[in-house]
Amino acid sequence: MITILLLVHGLLAVALLGAITHQALSVAPSGTAAGRRSFFARFRGVNGPAYAGPIVVMFVLTAVLGAFLYPQYRIDVRVLLEDTNSRSANGIFEIKEHLIAVGLGALPAYWIAWRTPLAPESASTRRYLTWILAFFVWWAFLVGHLLNNFKGLLPH
Amino acid sequence: MKIFSLLFGAIYYACVWQIDWALVYYYPETNKWYMTAHPDDGAAILWYGWLATAALISIPLALLVPRRIADRLWNDLSWVVAVGAIGAIFFHESRWFV
Repeated sequence: MITILLLVHGLLAVALLGAITHQALSVAPSGTAAGRRSFFARFRGVNGPAYAGPIVVMFVLTAVLGAFLYPQYRIDVRVLLEDTNSRSANGIFEIKEHLIAVGLGALPAYWIAWRTPLAPESASTRRYLTWILAFFVWWAFLVGHLLNNFKGLLPH
Repeated sequence: MKIFSLLFGAIYYACVWQIDWALVYYYPETNKWYMTAHPDDGAAILWYGWLATAALISIPLALLVPRRIADRLWNDLSWVVAVGAIGAIFFHESRWFV
């Protein structure tokens, strides 16, 4: 059961990572006319507001699944980190849980900022909240992935 | 909702700073929940309790603030508070990296 939960958590995280990265780049300042035809330009040329609702739902679902997985992490992984004196690994996970909590709190403001019709006076709020959430999601994804594979990363 | 976002991050961080502000303590080794610390049950997960405390305080406060006041607040305050929370979190957890 825990393996299935972990897989679903990971798959949702991948989808969330893709969505938030598209949206975060969509609010970045645009480049030159030639650059607008590049892969990067196409990657960022998405309908940002359409992503906001799914991002909120996926963020909450991924966090809830993570909350269900957390006890098993504390029993299996955290003990290993302490046994191997991997303080930094412990630290990056502690940061992950706090960033996700702050992210959950920021979701209502983020959602308001992306409500259509987009308010021009909320452009900077929209941009920076999206970048902040993207940072949270990237941090959580990379740390989760790293710690999930931590045993294999230890020197034998 | 804007007020909720402003308060939640700040209150959550205050809970992290003052560990015993967690509403509940969960002990994964014994699978037990308590309202107070029970060190005999092993190491507690405080995260659920911090989230619950932050929600329990920020939701009613956000509902109490009239909408006209909320609408008048500087829009960028929400991301400024989030950036402040990030800085505080990294500062607080720097103890793991020394």
